[in-house]
Amino acid sequence: MAFLELENISKYFGRNTAVDHIHLAVEHGEFLTLLGPSGCGKTTILRMVAGFEVPSEGYILLDGDDITQRAASKRPMGMVFQSYALFPHMTAEQNIAFGMNIKHVPRETIQKRCAELLELVGLGDKGRSYPHQLSGGQQQRVALARALAVEPKVLLLDEPLSALDAKVRVSLRNEIRRIQQQLKMTAIYVTHDQEEALAISDRIAVMAKGRIEQLDQPEEIYSNPRTVFAASFVGSSNQFSGKLESAAQGLCKAGSHLLHVPPTSSLKDGDAVLVLVRPEEVTLKEAEGQDDSDTNTTGNHIPGVIDLRTFLGPFTRFHIRTEQGDSLTADIPSQQARDNFVAQHVILSFAPEACQVLPIDSEEAKLVKQAEAEAV
Amino acid sequence: MQLGPNNIASRAIADVITGPQSQQKPRRGGFGLNKVALTIVLIYLLVPLAATLVFGVAIGNGIDFSALKSTFTDPDLSTTLVFSLELALATTLLAVILVTPTAYWVQLRLPKARPLLDFLSLIPFAMPAIVLSVGLIEVYNGTNSPVINVLSLGIVPALANLKIVNTPPLLVCAYVIIALPFVYRPIDNSLRAINTTVLTEAAYSLGSGWWRTFLTIILPNIFPGVISAALLVFSTVMGEFTIASLFGLYTFPIYLNNTGQNDPHKAAILAVLSFIFTLLCVLGIILLVRIRRSATGQRGAQIEIAAAR
Repeated sequence: MAFLELENISKYFGRNTAVDHIHLAVEHGEFLTLLGPSGCGKTTILRMVAGFEVPSEGYILLDGDDITQRAASKRPMGMVFQSYALFPHMTAEQNIAFGMNIKHVPRETIQKRCAELLELVGLGDKGRSYPHQLSGGQQQRVALARALAVEPKVLLLDEPLSALDAKVRVSLRNEIRRIQQQLKMTAIYVTHDQEEALAISDRIAVMAKGRIEQLDQPEEIYSNPRTVFAASFVGSSNQFSGKLESAAQGLCKAGSHLLHVPPTSSLKDGDAVLVLVRPEEVTLKEAEGQDDSDTNTTGNHIPGVIDLRTFLGPFTRFHIRTEQGDSLTADIPSQQARDNFVAQHVILSFAPEACQVLPIDSEEAKLVKQAEAEAV
Repeated sequence: MQLGPNNIASRAIADVITGPQSQQKPRRGGFGLNKVALTIVLIYLLVPLAATLVFGVAIGNGIDFSALKSTFTDPDLSTTLVFSLELALATTLLAVILVTPTAYWVQLRLPKARPLLDFLSLIPFAMPAIVLSVGLIEVYNGTNSPVINVLSLGIVPALANLKIVNTPPLLVCAYVIIALPFVYRPIDNSLRAINTTVLTEAAYSLGSGWWRTFLTIILPNIFPGVISAALLVFSTVMGEFTIASLFGLYTFPIYLNNTGQNDPHKAAILAVLSFIFTLLCVLGIILLVRIRRSATGQRGAQIEIAAAR
């Protein structure tokens, strides 16, 4: 039995289904991230685990105990909020001590533990500061220390980095991960930032419309998405929707392109599919003076014209307009992208193994659009 | 109807004093437009007061302190003043104790009921005090009306049996109703300003229950709003005349009115004394808030008299 289990959990708000029959098992010491767009139900799940919402159906088991109906104040959870939620009239130290005071921890122990926790979050000298005297990142560190002070069995983090600027966000997420691993604490983290989720988690649950689309390790989620939504939401990709010409030979007709994809036995000829290719899997070659032997090899080669060139530091992103009018993206290491320029005629190439083929129905098509809109 | 300068005094002072954070340091030197405006306002406020004081001690062309002496030797002064103080303190306590947890609970659990509470808190403005007092006397004088019995869930007949009509406890209850807008608005505004729900959830997640959260987290953060509410209730009761008069209770405003009809010089002195007394009370409370605020380092909280209006 897992350390924390959500059994068939649903939550309805009037006629709206926020969470739809979720099964989730979190192991002891695991860092699990709930990732999804706004309104997918990730925060509702976290709030049900914290005890701020009561599930409409299902059970929540912690270490074998049914805590579904237990009041939030009686649950061994520590929570970190997006808006920090530090008590404004208390110093950092008093904030951290609040939970321990309630548990009647001896004063000497409280003082010692406050000092330890402040050191742990790198704020050893800020114990006497009030929240308004601290920066956003420092406030969130205090909030983290306060949540850890009550020695929770599960640490819940509700988009804790969303209100911070990019640089602080990266350093603090590394801090959170370091502390979680150091304390071997079970943690559930909610975010809509896929990069954050990939960087910090042991496992990610990609959510859409109150359901878990895929629950896997970050590497698997990125390189082997099981659903169209998971593939679209996590990372960016070039998408070709079409029909499978030959599942056995790995041929797919997408518009006027005949794509070479990995052969599959799980799909049959004629199935509607979405072929996804990550931009970093695409290579560019100048169209003029190309070697014919290159384009004749098994692979995908699509001619086009560079529309936009964006330098992004380690790599350069190219938006290429194909002859059919589609826009495709290629991420090329900046060292190799020096000879490519806007209006240049190029051939985009990608190997069949770089293609992910996923069956698609109308419902999934909607989710893809939602994920794309969220990404924008 | 509010008698005496108490309300004007306390509100004017509270308007001027809005907390240390909001005050900008004036530039030294120069005689700017702001100073002209301030001087005009001070003249506007102080000249009538000075004129009242001069009238109080002037007899003919000379100065006579006999009215001042007789004011202080009048036993009714201390009796009515203490009685009004007791009423004001009881009303302030009851109103704050009733409204603060209720407003918090509504904010937290029943946010959809807030428009209803907003509406209820405005009713005392729309209802003349004379209607309220006549209604209270009519309902609690022992008239056995089945409609009232049912509507009040049996509370009115039970209270009527205790013969509370025309007594200070019923007067305090009436004052709580009158003071509802003054007490609800500042507290509600303070609750809205502090992200009540998230703070409460944070406290819950640390093991705190509802009451502990309310007393140790919410109340300290809405303290300026509560003090502001208390200030307004206090000054409202200290100057209330109509209901006390219809209840036949001898409060300070009634003493002031009676004295004014018999001896206008004495009434003028009383008006000034009443102003100074209320001023001291208000300054005392503001000082308390400031000391507390500087002790906690809390910022941004201001006395919300304007919001209450």
